[in-house]
Parts: sequence; C-alpha cells; structure tokens
Amino acid sequence: MQYKVTIENFDGPLDLLLHLIKEQDIDIYDIKIEEVTKGYLDYIKAMNDMNLSIASEYLVMASELIEIKSKMLLPKKKELDEDDYEEDPREVLIERLLAYKQYKEITSEFKNLELTRKLVFTKEPENLSYYAKEERSKEELGISDLLEAFNLLMQKKELDKPIATKITKKELSVSEKVVKIRSILKEKKKVNFEELFEVATKEEVIVNFLSILEMVKKDEITLVQDNNFSGIVISLKEGE
Amino acid sequence: MKLGVLEGLLFVTGEDGLTLEDIEKLLEITKEEAENLIEEYKSSLNDEKRGLKLVYLGNKYKLTTKEEHKNYYELLVDKVVSSTLSQSALETLAIIAYNEPITVGQIDEIRGVSSRDMIRKLLFRGLIDLAGKSDLPGKPMLYKTTDKFLDYFNLSSIEELPKMEFNIEELTKEEKDLFMSKYKEEGD
Repeated sequence: MQYKVTIENFDGPLDLLLHLIKEQDIDIYDIKIEEVTKGYLDYIKAMNDMNLSIASEYLVMASELIEIKSKMLLPKKKELDEDDYEEDPREVLIERLLAYKQYKEITSEFKNLELTRKLVFTKEPENLSYYAKEERSKEELGISDLLEAFNLLMQKKELDKPIATKITKKELSVSEKVVKIRSILKEKKKVNFEELFEVATKEEVIVNFLSILEMVKKDEITLVQDNNFSGIVISLKEGE
Repeated sequence: MKLGVLEGLLFVTGEDGLTLEDIEKLLEITKEEAENLIEEYKSSLNDEKRGLKLVYLGNKYKLTTKEEHKNYYELLVDKVVSSTLSQSALETLAIIAYNEPITVGQIDEIRGVSSRDMIRKLLFRGLIDLAGKSDLPGKPMLYKTTDKFLDYFNLSSIEELPKMEFNIEELTKEEKDLFMSKYKEEGD
C-alpha cells in the first residue's frame, strides 16, 4: 500500500499516531499495528529525507511500535494458568492514545474559553507603593531606628578594622596554635568547637582549623558530637 | 458611600481583583452585606450608559470592559495581533488542570514528549505554579494551575473546568480495580 505523507506540525508522537489512525479511518480500539507502524515509519523517513531533525521522542515511539508489532507476530503461548494470560501488546499504547486524545480534544474548549476572555479587558492594578511606604515610615521609623542604624554601621566598621592590620599577624603557625589549643584544653578539659574560633581574621580561623585537624591526626584530642548539627565538644585524649 | 468605595477598590486593584473576604474586611461589613453590595453594584453596571462590568474570575471579583465595546478598543491600535496560547501549551495546561498537582514526568508520560520547556514558559506567564514536592523517587516538583489560569480561560473557579468525557473517577469500581491492578503490574 502506498502512503502519501504530508508533513504537518505534530505535538509529539502520540499526536502523529492519532493523525495516522484518523487518516486510515481505523477504530482506535482495534489498531492495525502493521499499517500504523508503516505509516509512522514513512513519516519519520520523510522527515529525515527533508533533513528535518527528528525529536528523539519520535524514535522512541517508533521502536515501541516495532516492539509491539514483533510481539504480535510471535505465536501465542498456550496458557495453562489463568494468571498467565498475556495482555494484548497494543493495550498500553491504546490506553495512552485514548488518554492523550481526551486532553487534545478538550483543548478546543479551552481555546474557546481563551477567546471569550479576550473579548473583555482588565486593567493593571494601581501601584500603591507610595502609600505603603508612608505608612511604614510613620509607624516604624523613629530616633531609635536611626541610632540602631548608626550602631550597625559602627559595628561594621569595627569588623572591617582587623583587615587593615592583619599583615602583621600573618606569622601564625600551626605548631604555635597547637601549643595554644593544648594549653586551653589542659585548663578547661572540655571545650566547644566554636569557643576555639573566637578569633578575628580569616587566616586565624584557617590556622585554628588546621591545628585541630593536626591534633586529631596525631591522636591528641577527641571530637564528640551528640547529634547532627549540635555542637562539637573537644577534649584531650586520656593520659595526655 | 460603600458602593463608591467598592467601585474605587475594584478600580485600584484592577486585574488582581478582590475576594469576598477582602471586601468584607476592607468595608467592615458582614458577608451578607458584602454580597448584597456586590449585587447592587453589579446591576448598576448593567446600564448601557456604563462601560464596565463586574465579573468573578479566578476566584476574585474584578472589573472588565464589556464584550460589545471590543471593536472600539481595537480602533486604538493599528493592527490587531491576538496572541493566543499554542496547541502544546493548551495541552499541557489541560493535563495539569485535570490532574493537579502533577509532576513534569507524569505530564511527559501523557503527552509523549518532553514538557520541561513548556512548563518553564507557563511558570513564567504565571499560569501555573509550584505545588510542593511529590513523594515519588527523586522528590520531583509538583505543579498546579493558578488563579491567573482560571482568569485566562474565563473561569470563576476550578469547578468550572470543562467536563471531560471520561474520567478515572467515573469508571465503575471494577474497571478502576482492573486499571489499578494493571498499573501495578507495569510498575513491577
């Protein structure tokens, strides 16, 4: 049989299949899988000949069709057991087609609704931010807010300070820090992880961390954490 | 006086509109009074001397122009370009609307094509929104339609969606069981 292939825009392989089924005027519940597969492959071939790129979904469907076709060609096993009953290989495909068809058909109603809505216009909501700002400034801002802002600024400046002087502190070494941590631990026995990090500069934090790692490696200290995200407690190993 | 305030509120909120509760709260009136007020305002707009009408779209009351005046508005522009949603956008929206909340994977399954780009476009247009995460493996995001979607399709609420010819809910119990058991087999 010869198929005339016209290239249309399809929304995916299911859409194409529905089109082929409609064109061949066959009952969707009783798809002639050979004919549909042939039509489908012809279409893909035509697309290929026209140098159109074929979306991978179309190829997936092509392989599914061929699989169904080959399953249908296989001689049927004799079922001894009721449970062994093999379903029609086309059934899954038919169900998918029916479900898709349903949605595809209802889009025409949505199309109508869309057009109905387009007969009338609404306007953009007014920009009320002017009022919103006024209200907030009346209620929330006062001298105390100004003070707070000033304090925050000073704090920020304070934080910025060490950066200017950090160059002189650069000589921090891991071994020095290890000694320091050891003395803290000897004195306090147990220390929270965060407590050791009450330092100002990034370099110090890094050196601190390296020191702790070093001490763990040397098996000098134990780190204990009771729960996820809870504080880590550091203590000297027994006998140190 | 309240009638005038209501009109002003509806004008100011524009396409965002007002819920019945908004109107009750803003005007400090009971639900019944609010409903009466809306009814009164609505019928006052029925007059052909008025250019607006009060509608309930996307779960909100809002003012729109009247259909019969559309031609005059079109005269305002040189060329009428009506941009409508594409077939695949409509398809995707329909699938979401009847199955929400739904994952992209489930939409793809029904459409037979990847819907990822389409979802992004619809999200951008505000027609759909995230609806949390599903319990499926990988915890994919769930999507649902928005009030803007309802408004776009001239619907007051989700109950007004066009009725589907056949629905899983409408299947008899036997058919449903059969469907479910088969589905389970496939999943194994």
